[in-house]
Amino acid sequence: MTPRGHGSTVIELPNDRDVLIAREFKAPIALVFDVLTKPEHVSKWFAGPGEEMKECSIDLRVGGSYRFVFVTEDGIEMSFRGIYLEVAPPTRTVETWLFEGRPDGEAIESQDLHEARGVTTLTVKLAFGDAAGRPTRFEGMEASFDRIDDVVRSLLDPSGTVSGK
Amino acid sequence: MARSSTTSDVFNAIGEAHRREILDTLIAGEKAVGAIVNDVSMSQPQVSKHLRVLSEVGLVRCRAEGRRRLYRLEPARLRPMHDWLAKYEQEWNDRLDRMEDYLKELQRQGEPQ
Repeated sequence: MTPRGHGSTVIELPNDRDVLIAREFKAPIALVFDVLTKPEHVSKWFAGPGEEMKECSIDLRVGGSYRFVFVTEDGIEMSFRGIYLEVAPPTRTVETWLFEGRPDGEAIESQDLHEARGVTTLTVKLAFGDAAGRPTRFEGMEASFDRIDDVVRSLLDPSGTVSGK
Repeated sequence: MARSSTTSDVFNAIGEAHRREILDTLIAGEKAVGAIVNDVSMSQPQVSKHLRVLSEVGLVRCRAEGRRRLYRLEPARLRPMHDWLAKYEQEWNDRLDRMEDYLKELQRQGEPQ
């Protein structure tokens, strides 16, 4: 599936528990790191059109916490929070990640940055909890789509070719 | 993100690796239980157990042909997941598009006038 938009976001679901997201930016690594980790920057892009950012607090140090809250067009409040486990500017942060709407679905998020020839690649990995809690871990189950997506595409699109995966 | 309990059952059904293996082998078309057992790394009782779960949530359909029971995929039942994944990908892409636009704006501002 290729998302619309001008981006080059690549999402992979390598197994039942992890989600990998990769994206390239034509910007130096230090700037990309700042835009990802400073509240004055995050508050400018995190919420989408029609959404209102209500809280954007970041205490960027090991043991420090962050919390992002935005309100959707429909008036629904969406909040995310976590605690930093690793902070290594400008290449890496690791933090717990929790969508407060699903308090039993905590993940470990790592954000890695790599710069080459003026292009900085951001790789986000969300590692969800163990399979034992999976029935209630919606975000953990979405990873199952990796193979299922092939099944769906091959069957719902009669002209499509079956992926050789 | 809200979803109905029946969708949740489908999620649970495909959340198990062996069941995905069975669904994979049914991409090629309708198969008898024996043929499925040949394709996957499971015993016949295991395959039957998983086929029962997949039938209950409507991901596979069974019909009898003489003494054989033939199973086929019901891809329409996967549509909600397919749509959900597309939406999830779109949300990430939109957010990172906004981040990119903001980065470009910052870089333009940083350039000498």
